[in-house]
Amino acid sequence: MLFHASKLSLIVMAPKPQRIRHLVGATWQSAMKKARTMSTETETESSMKDAFSKYADYLNNLNDKRERVVKASRDITMNSKKVIFQVHRMSKQNKEEVLDKAVKYLAAVTDQYLSRLVKELQGTDFWKLRRAYSPGVQEYVEAATLCNFCKTGTLLTLDEINATLLPLSDPSVEPLQINILDYILGLADLTGELMRLAIGRISEGELDFAEKICSFVREIYRNLTLIAPEMDDSSDMKQKMETMLQSVMKIENACFSVHVRGSEYIPLLGSADTSYPLLGMPDIE
Amino acid sequence: MTGGDFPNPSSTSSEKLEKQFEEFRHHLQESGNLRERIRAVATEIDSVTRLIYASLLLVHQSRPVAEVIEKAKSQVGVLKELYRGLSDIIRECPGQYYRYHGDWKSETQTVVSLLAFMHWLETGTLILHNEVEEKLGLTPTEFGLDVDDYLIGICFMSNELPRYVVNQVTAGDYDCPRKVLKFLTDLHAAFRMLNLRNDFLRKKFDGMKYDLRKVEEVFYDVKIRGLAANGDSAGEKQVQGES
Repeated sequence: MLFHASKLSLIVMAPKPQRIRHLVGATWQSAMKKARTMSTETETESSMKDAFSKYADYLNNLNDKRERVVKASRDITMNSKKVIFQVHRMSKQNKEEVLDKAVKYLAAVTDQYLSRLVKELQGTDFWKLRRAYSPGVQEYVEAATLCNFCKTGTLLTLDEINATLLPLSDPSVEPLQINILDYILGLADLTGELMRLAIGRISEGELDFAEKICSFVREIYRNLTLIAPEMDDSSDMKQKMETMLQSVMKIENACFSVHVRGSEYIPLLGSADTSYPLLGMPDIE
Repeated sequence: MTGGDFPNPSSTSSEKLEKQFEEFRHHLQESGNLRERIRAVATEIDSVTRLIYASLLLVHQSRPVAEVIEKAKSQVGVLKELYRGLSDIIRECPGQYYRYHGDWKSETQTVVSLLAFMHWLETGTLILHNEVEEKLGLTPTEFGLDVDDYLIGICFMSNELPRYVVNQVTAGDYDCPRKVLKFLTDLHAAFRMLNLRNDFLRKKFDGMKYDLRKVEEVFYDVKIRGLAANGDSAGEKQVQGES
């Protein structure tokens, strides 16, 4: 309502000052010590319009770009999730095959989706638009490190990930390089996936694998505790650290149950029935 | 066979992991130090803007504009110096202007609003983005003024105008509402050219219409009592009916 009223009066009032202008010109000029002549008023009005049309262009371009980055980020998230699901499909028998497929999916995410960010994030836009692309990049880090861990049992470092991104752009432009913050945030999420993986492995009787995951996750958690308070947005990280500790403890508890009741599981090892051993395990979720 | 597809994580790989995190910590500590230095400058900027604001508030007590401006202007040089310090710090991390932008943006928005108010008191016109940069000695290629910060600062300035109009009229300047109304109307029209997102700037812009309305009301009050110096009363009747 209010807006309508003032809009209405805006329309009506707009032409009026011009009308008064030459009539009261003399009084106004005396009122204003630094006399601005009347003709310059319209001049400044149009210079204001000119300036604002420049700002409008700037904002339009920025918003379009941000929109494109958000879309790319969403695609990266969606397809990285597919990689992660693929990894979870692995079982004792088909590990190689499943992981190879996951790696292939991951390469497709890099080539098709991550590459879309390269030209958008040149120069200062890399940090300006971070909030727009960060979720996608974090998910990508999660997928890439998960794949790598399952294949090699080691942590894929930031330098290694960034090296794989170099071929996305030709040398004439700045290459896209994931920043430390997104990498760390991605790693924090990785532990959740590894927890699921560990529970799955235990239920298939792959205890060694589960223990390997356990010590890996502990190591990440331990190292991140030192780093978390130094992060740019440490409140976000603090929450992730808590979730991470939960995941670590879930894996530990699962390993503990197997350890304590180990003898009860042995007959089941290698059997096709995977539902049994899960009894007495902490929930996967 | 169980889980043994890869060799045991050797000591080298866990060393590699430790090394990477050590580097991260080092990097993050450095950027934390940088941030502290930036915050220190931003705090100084903040205290200078308080000084300027306090000087400018005298216009509401109908002190002569020239005198008020002069006092406020004496501090602009200090601001310029502080922004040079800020740009020196940012030069140490090329391309990361927006990583740390949050640490000085609200101070900068206030700076813009004060400079804009001073400029308007002096000339009756809107200070433009590049003029603010000039006043603060900023270079767009190195350390520019973010357009959003400029626009938000302008919205802040608009908030100052209703009070100014009220006090000017009380002090006997009956033409002031007309002048301010014209300026705010143009400014509001200019802002409507922008396609805003649902962000802070949008919120501030939405607030501008209340400033406009308040000024319209003052203008109306003055006009209807025939206080405004104005011969063309016939043409104004329609407007009065609308208000």
